[in-house]
Amino acid sequence: MTLNIIVVTDQRDGTLKGASRESLSEARRVVARAGGGDVVACLVGHNLGKAAEEARHSGASRVLVVDDEKLKAFSAAGYAHAVGLVAAKVPAPHVFLAPDTTMGRELLPRLGARIGGSVATAVTSIAPEADGSLTVQRKVFGGRATETLRLRGTPVITLRPNAFGIDASPASDPPVENVPLGDLPAVAQGVQVTNFTSTRGDTPDLTEAQIVVSGGRGMKTAENFVLVENLAKTLGAAVGASRAVVDAGWRPASFQVGQTGKTVQPQLYLAFGISGAIQHLVGITNSRCIVAVNKDPAAPIFKVADYGVVGDAMTVLPLLTKALTKQ
Amino acid sequence: MDVIVCVKQIPDPETKLRVAASGKSYDPDGVKFTIVNTYDEATVEEALRMKEEFGFGAVRTVTVGPARSEEALRHTLAMGADEAVLVETPPNAVLDPLLVARILSAVIKDMPHDLVMVGKHAQDDEAGQVGSALGEYLGLPSYAFVTGLTPDSGAHVLKMARYVEGGEEAFGGPFPAVVSLLKGVKDPRTPTLPNILKARKKPLKKIPLPEALAKVGALPGAGNPTSETLAFTLPPPRAGAKMIEGQTPEEQVEKLLKSLKEEAKVL
Ligand SMILES: Cc1cc2nc3c(=O)[nH]c(=O)nc-3n(C[C@H](O)[C@H](O)[C@H](O)COP(=O)(O)OP(=O)(O)OC[C@H]3O[C@@H](n4cnc5c(N)ncnc54)[C@H](O)[C@@H]3O)c2cc1C
Repeated sequence: MTLNIIVVTDQRDGTLKGASRESLSEARRVVARAGGGDVVACLVGHNLGKAAEEARHSGASRVLVVDDEKLKAFSAAGYAHAVGLVAAKVPAPHVFLAPDTTMGRELLPRLGARIGGSVATAVTSIAPEADGSLTVQRKVFGGRATETLRLRGTPVITLRPNAFGIDASPASDPPVENVPLGDLPAVAQGVQVTNFTSTRGDTPDLTEAQIVVSGGRGMKTAENFVLVENLAKTLGAAVGASRAVVDAGWRPASFQVGQTGKTVQPQLYLAFGISGAIQHLVGITNSRCIVAVNKDPAAPIFKVADYGVVGDAMTVLPLLTKALTKQ
Repeated sequence: MDVIVCVKQIPDPETKLRVAASGKSYDPDGVKFTIVNTYDEATVEEALRMKEEFGFGAVRTVTVGPARSEEALRHTLAMGADEAVLVETPPNAVLDPLLVARILSAVIKDMPHDLVMVGKHAQDDEAGQVGSALGEYLGLPSYAFVTGLTPDSGAHVLKMARYVEGGEEAFGGPFPAVVSLLKGVKDPRTPTLPNILKARKKPLKKIPLPEALAKVGALPGAGNPTSETLAFTLPPPRAGAKMIEGQTPEEQVEKLLKSLKEEAKVL
């Protein structure tokens, strides 16, 4: 049964996020398994020229763009409306996918409610069934359990970043099709972004990083935290912190990983001087490999880590940085 | 300005999970339930903070859940909410998040609501769908990943901050609206004993599920109910970390890097 998959991409900062390309890759794989159909990249926003160009080379068979000044500020209501305009240009049956970024997570449930779809968020696998429905899996309870769901009707799905992988895109080069917005519905008017404070610096974003290096209270002082940052720099990794570090004022809240911070999903998570409180662990259990360095052999983090080193973070960190710099 | 906060009672995040006989959910027998989902508790606090700072009208809390959820609502009343509504579901019912949002919208429509607030997600199913879906069903704007808000009642806009990848955005938008909160400005207050006693007498209305469903009417779209849970599974218990031993830290680091490269293949 053929499916036309509409991938709502995220390009909040003007370029197509890696997670968006991952969604396009997975859409291709699902279409292939289902027996054919289009992979439609759906870009909504303003000044999308660059991102649309990238979408043409990321595995989409069609690229539909709603580019309008009125969509400069993201709003779930406005963007759901625009995605509806794109969907009207694509033959049914539809499946909607988006990366589980803040934008995807905010937008797709609204879209799902709007079209009476069947919504699942942050899924980690998608399998097409013979009747056109999809079976998906997702982690629940902070990664402590897995839920398997059957989505009927129109599936509307966000994909957990880094759970699927990006294929080399095949040589397709579809033209960009522009879809006019017209007027925004009243419910979507009046949203304005007044300021943006970047926390990115020169390191990758925590939620998107392939490697995350985190420090906890065991780092002892704000100054010692530089050791964490040096290793991160050497690895091209993002820097994370436990809440104890944020509460102590060593690093700002944007570094915090865990229940009241960010959920990360890297290939490799390195934790230095972090005890492994449940509120921290729920933010890291989607990591493929967890390494813990702690001076206490009984630290709970060793129960969930893949590799453990009992030792002093202040000694191990510089040694790691040195060994990795040499290569 | 009247505020509604939607809350959910969930299993304690540290409780041991077992799979129910149906194989489709966790077994609630012997599970310790938290009083209320952390994000929702933070949201109640944010609503109460605004009520106190800006002289709002009432703060009302609503939940869709089994009878035990009354405990969660009483907790919000003890924190300072004025009234609560419980849409009572059968003990082990698993409801699709969109259906929950639909039920909430039907109940909220009958209540004064200048602002509807929800926590980012519930820590059990982690769906994070209710806020945005509620916005759609109520015909209101919805804003998510909000980390603090200030109403400007004169101009009828909310000034908010929200997390986005790579930074934080300050933004404004009109209300009435639905706001999903990532975290509030203050840590949730702990109810005092007098307030816990007072909360026992505050109004708590119970609506049986069928009555709420009758209000919902037909759901939009063809294929409803939407998602069906096929299985709930627990991963095999983690073996625990492979400990990297060594005579010196240098040796440990060398062995660790070797394992990461050759065994885990993550470097
Ligand atoms: C509602 C709520 C939400 C929360 N949300 C979060 C959250 O989002 N994220 C989060 O992280 N926490 C969160 N917490 C806090 C959490 O419970 C823990 O308090 C916190 O994670 C502890 O941080 P830590 O591991 O850095 O510090 P500690 O628990 O103090 O651990 C420090 C560790 O460092 C080790 N150590 C000390 N010296 C050294 C050394 N020289 N070398 C190596 N190791 C050393 C110690 O053995 C210890 O294991 C939350 C708590 C609550 C109640």
